[in-house]
Amino acid sequence: MHRALIFSSLNPIYSKLSTTTASPDSAVFPKRDGGWIGPPPVFRLQNYKRTLLPPLCSASDSVANQPKMASQDEQDPRISKISSAIRVIPNFPKPGIMFQDITTLLLDTKAFRDTIDLFVERYRGKDISVVAGIEARGFIFGPPIALAIGAKFVPMRKPNKLPGEVISEEYSLEYGTDIMEMHVGAVQAGERALIIDDLIATGGTLCAAIKLLERVGVHVVECACVIELPELKGRERLGDKPLFVLVSST
Amino acid sequence: MFAAENGLKGDPRLQAISDAIRVVPHFPKQGIMFQDITTLLLDHKAFKHTIDIFVDRYRDMDISVIAGVEARGFMFGPSIALAIGAKFVPLRKPKKLPGEVISEAYELEYGTDCLEMHVGAVPPGERVIVIDDLVATGGTLSAAIRLLERVGAQVVECACVIGLPEVKGQRRLNGKPLYILVEPREIDGCC
Repeated sequence: MHRALIFSSLNPIYSKLSTTTASPDSAVFPKRDGGWIGPPPVFRLQNYKRTLLPPLCSASDSVANQPKMASQDEQDPRISKISSAIRVIPNFPKPGIMFQDITTLLLDTKAFRDTIDLFVERYRGKDISVVAGIEARGFIFGPPIALAIGAKFVPMRKPNKLPGEVISEEYSLEYGTDIMEMHVGAVQAGERALIIDDLIATGGTLCAAIKLLERVGVHVVECACVIELPELKGRERLGDKPLFVLVSST
Repeated sequence: MFAAENGLKGDPRLQAISDAIRVVPHFPKQGIMFQDITTLLLDHKAFKHTIDIFVDRYRDMDISVIAGVEARGFMFGPSIALAIGAKFVPLRKPKKLPGEVISEAYELEYGTDCLEMHVGAVPPGERVIVIDDLVATGGTLSAAIRLLERVGAQVVECACVIGLPEVKGQRRLNGKPLYILVEPREIDGCC
């Protein structure tokens, strides 16, 4: 299995952290196989990651405010349990794909609770009025977050599922295309939205969701996923839209 | 059995929940008055009431699993599970679950469909609530009950936001109690 370089020079956040004075014994960099694997650290990711993005600005924060970065360098202790609760199923749905199965996370009541808490802590009090969840696994994570932060939940669905008038966005798959739909009138222009899915791979689905919301004048504040597959470069595909993930996996 | 007959008579939350549900006529086909819960999800207070009512009911019933039927059961089940400290188990259409599954077929109006659950998700003896947004004929819920019983789980109750007239008067489904919050909304003067 290909091992990804966790610290890519293309990503300014990672570069900054690689120059911290954090010791090899810090919680951020666990020793693998008893040794420190020389700078910059190369990890067998295997569902290990930390949250790296700076705190989210609320609507009232000015661009000039610099959020405190202190917590950014430390892994939240809940992350490793979340990561280890995710099951990898080889060769699903087809040979060569290592499927990240979150159903085992849902069976771990503490880890599932922690997953939701991590998102809620980030987004509470940030004037977010819409949580859009992508069918179907986004429906599992989105509503608990929406309820906790006082937002509406809007399902983004496959074609012909939503009963009312919809707007549709076509997007590319590996072979062919698919369509994502949202109810007309579910959201209003000017609302601030989060988009939730369990995982970001190429970013195609999330991009379609962003487009759907932006077409009706909604401001997509951030995309949030439990898992990122960084090799598939979904983060880049989102362009200027921030992405927040809990776990990164190769 | 309906919540109003079972301790929540006159509870204003039930009216708020009912009012938040939208009826879409002739979806997915002529003659069907589709009960659309997406508008309930847009009403934060009413959505919270929905979850609170189920949580209040199941919190002290020693429930260890909430099983939600794809896809609208996923919108209600996890919040309930989180609040009562239960696991959430998705019951899915075929070929969605990546691991080893057991399957249960059930009848549709025309043809059959299939519900699947991961092997090992629910150990024998665990007390389970099955949740979906709506119960009509009960075919899907019956399949869910059978799936869970096949692995030795104990289905304590089936819970739905909306119950169609077919189930009115039926307090049980496959011998399991049914707990429903509201009846379908009707559109005045329609059709």
